[in-house]
Amino acid sequence: MAYFLVRSLLILAFLILIPPLLGEFWAYQLGLYFIYGLAALGIGLAWGQAGILPLGQGMFVAIAAYVTAHGLLALGSSPIAYLALPAACVLVAVLAFAFAALVFRGRFEQGPSFSLMTLALTLAAFQVANGWSRVTGGFNGLRNIPGLPGLDGFLDLYYLIAILLGLSIAAVDYLLHAPIGVLWRATADNERRLAFLGYDVAVIKAAAFAVASGLAGLAGALYAPQQNLVTPDLAGFAFSGDLVIFAAVGGRATVLGPVIGAIVVGVLSAELRDRFPWWEIGIALFFIVVVLRLPGGLMTLFVPLRRLSFTRTVTRARSVAPGKPRIATSLSVAFEDVRVRVGDVTILDGLSVRTGEEAVLCVIGPNGAGKTSTLNVMTGMLPRRGGRIVIDGADVLRPEPAIVASKGVARKFQTPSVFPKLTIDENLAVALWAGRWRGFDLLRSGLFGWTSPLLEEMRRRFQFLDDGTRPASALSHGERQILELTMALITEPRMLLLDEPCAGLSHEETTAVIDAIQWARGELNLRVIIIEHDMELVRRLADRVVVLHQGRFLADGSVEEVQRNPEVRAVYVGGSR
Amino acid sequence: MEALLFTQGLNVVFEALILAMLVLGLAVVMGLLNVLNIAHGEFIMIGAYAAYIVQRAGLPYWLAIPAAALVCGVIGLVVERCLIRPLHYEPFETLLATWGLGLLLRKCVELGFGRGYRSVEIPIGGSVSLFGESYPAYRLVLMVVAALVLASLFVWYRRAPTGARIRAMVGNPVLAEAVGIRTRELARNTFITGTALAGVAGVMVAPLTPVEPFMGLTFIVNSFFALVVGGMGTVAGLFAGATIIGGLQSVLSAAVSPTSAYLAMLLISILFLWQRPRGLFPRP
Repeated sequence: MAYFLVRSLLILAFLILIPPLLGEFWAYQLGLYFIYGLAALGIGLAWGQAGILPLGQGMFVAIAAYVTAHGLLALGSSPIAYLALPAACVLVAVLAFAFAALVFRGRFEQGPSFSLMTLALTLAAFQVANGWSRVTGGFNGLRNIPGLPGLDGFLDLYYLIAILLGLSIAAVDYLLHAPIGVLWRATADNERRLAFLGYDVAVIKAAAFAVASGLAGLAGALYAPQQNLVTPDLAGFAFSGDLVIFAAVGGRATVLGPVIGAIVVGVLSAELRDRFPWWEIGIALFFIVVVLRLPGGLMTLFVPLRRLSFTRTVTRARSVAPGKPRIATSLSVAFEDVRVRVGDVTILDGLSVRTGEEAVLCVIGPNGAGKTSTLNVMTGMLPRRGGRIVIDGADVLRPEPAIVASKGVARKFQTPSVFPKLTIDENLAVALWAGRWRGFDLLRSGLFGWTSPLLEEMRRRFQFLDDGTRPASALSHGERQILELTMALITEPRMLLLDEPCAGLSHEETTAVIDAIQWARGELNLRVIIIEHDMELVRRLADRVVVLHQGRFLADGSVEEVQRNPEVRAVYVGGSR
Repeated sequence: MEALLFTQGLNVVFEALILAMLVLGLAVVMGLLNVLNIAHGEFIMIGAYAAYIVQRAGLPYWLAIPAAALVCGVIGLVVERCLIRPLHYEPFETLLATWGLGLLLRKCVELGFGRGYRSVEIPIGGSVSLFGESYPAYRLVLMVVAALVLASLFVWYRRAPTGARIRAMVGNPVLAEAVGIRTRELARNTFITGTALAGVAGVMVAPLTPVEPFMGLTFIVNSFFALVVGGMGTVAGLFAGATIIGGLQSVLSAAVSPTSAYLAMLLISILFLWQRPRGLFPRP
């Protein structure tokens, strides 16, 4: 925290000291680049952290600029005019949140379609701004917008812009180091895992986009009094593109990168514009070189410096995470005549099966029997063509990962699904926070110190979990399996779905994992459903075995019963049925 | 009234065919290689400038077609070698790089020819009388040429061994390489074909539009959203997208205003991106 304050104050002091050093002309120029930097700062947050590339931030700058311009034109020199700034900002952020939450709802893809939607929106906004002359002044824009009351000259306004930029940088810095920042990076990394932990991914992503757009709004609100002119060009394709370029050139993954990108490109353009007719070619080449050779942007150049200064080891005060309200009984699930088809392929063909008194249910069957698909349709990853799925006595009409997770179902995938770019500690923390955070918890860095008895026990059993600063991508396949299992367990579910949990594990690891599963089963009064091929494992774990074949229920019973069953034998030995 | 409808219908067909021609290069690059070539419009622009230069030099207009294909193909070769391949054909990275490329090409042309509008004269003047209605001859010729180019390319893609190799590469690059298809050369040639086709499309539309460095922006927007609506990587998608976007533009521009036609296109594209992001006829 002290470190954060020192850094923020240094940046602020630097920004305020510029005009006495460089003079008033530069104060005006830099003021404009700082405004661009504010919008780019937001792009860095949405794109570099949450993985959402906004191609139309110019639209939000423009909306806020028009709103502020009207506010200033109407209120003139009354101090109330200042209210136009936050009003424009909040309006834009709310619009962005509503739009993004609507689009992201119920969808898991990091494809470019959201980016293209923002691009289409800004193209439309440009047309509207040009055509709606009564409000926007049309092609010529709104002119003679008064400055902010009480601020004389460029220098006063410069200080306001510099202070707001310094505060915005500090705010973004704070957010990225708070739990919400980890969740944003987790979204970019593995959205599906986040949803399966029970997070509302759409809201998390929309929040990132709203903060980014709020910053674009702040830029627009300051642009109006700084330039005294607002034209439709702000909503143009080119300006939105420039903002993305600033963020990419400076370094989208860092807080300061996008701001530095805006200032560097701005100053370079201002210096080169009059001297060389080909300056824009230089900027374009510069941008291409950055994309090719310096994907981390200019900030990569500072990485060696950072190694000198950033050697901080934060030891967080440990505290026990608040408990989850627990229901003593384990969760039941029933499939009734469930049908799944994808294209021409029938995957589940009227599957009816239900959990009973048993604690550990093993699902077996030859390849293509529909074992994994059963879990997929139950957790909303495959659409169902017919039948009913009843979880905990309630019909689930439209299963979605987060909804199923909130009922107390945790899932471990066949190929380990963790957050590869996050550290082990962050992976565990994201799982631990799930369902436990309340209100504004996600802004409190105290959450990083949370732990739970279950987590401590898993750390005791699997030593590598203690090496918390290692990124998950550096783990071996087996360690990733165990990390994912731990993440699933510490959400303290009522039902655990495991898809070949011991695939790729060594003999010792397999034994340790089975021990851990059995211990957690007793601890949490948990129901476990395991898909498994390894009959040795099934024999050790299963209370009851269900056999699937060609998308249908074939047989069930104890391991011995199933093994004696002639139908099951026929299927496995290759006889026809 | 009937005659008016007939002309209007012909206009819709014309818009759809021309848009299909303009989209073609992008459809090849984006649909088959997954490269979101934002500089596609600039290749069209360069093709249009090639037409302008050929016409100014007093050479026959049709010579512009090989000239534009050559120029755009060579630029495409350099771009593939220096930008697209080093970025491993990654959609996001190439999107950014071609964004910068578009900026670069616009500025280079601006430096060479200035910002002003150039006009290319219509090489085939006069009009043809069709069922008592006169229709510009050049437009008819364009429709025939566009239809021929599109049809022959699709037959080639479906029938020729190279077409099969491309489909194999698109379906499964690793397996394609394993069975001996030289995917690197194939991808390069596909990319060059895409940029050369953009150049040819530029020659075709040059007489119908003011030629200036920024003309590519309108084309990329229309082409892009036509592909979004139609779906990537399929012939049906290309035609569906071009017909819907081109037809809509044509009808709404005539009936209401060009601005509302443009806004309607954007609205439809947003709806598609939201509810059906893979378009009407996506590659399976």
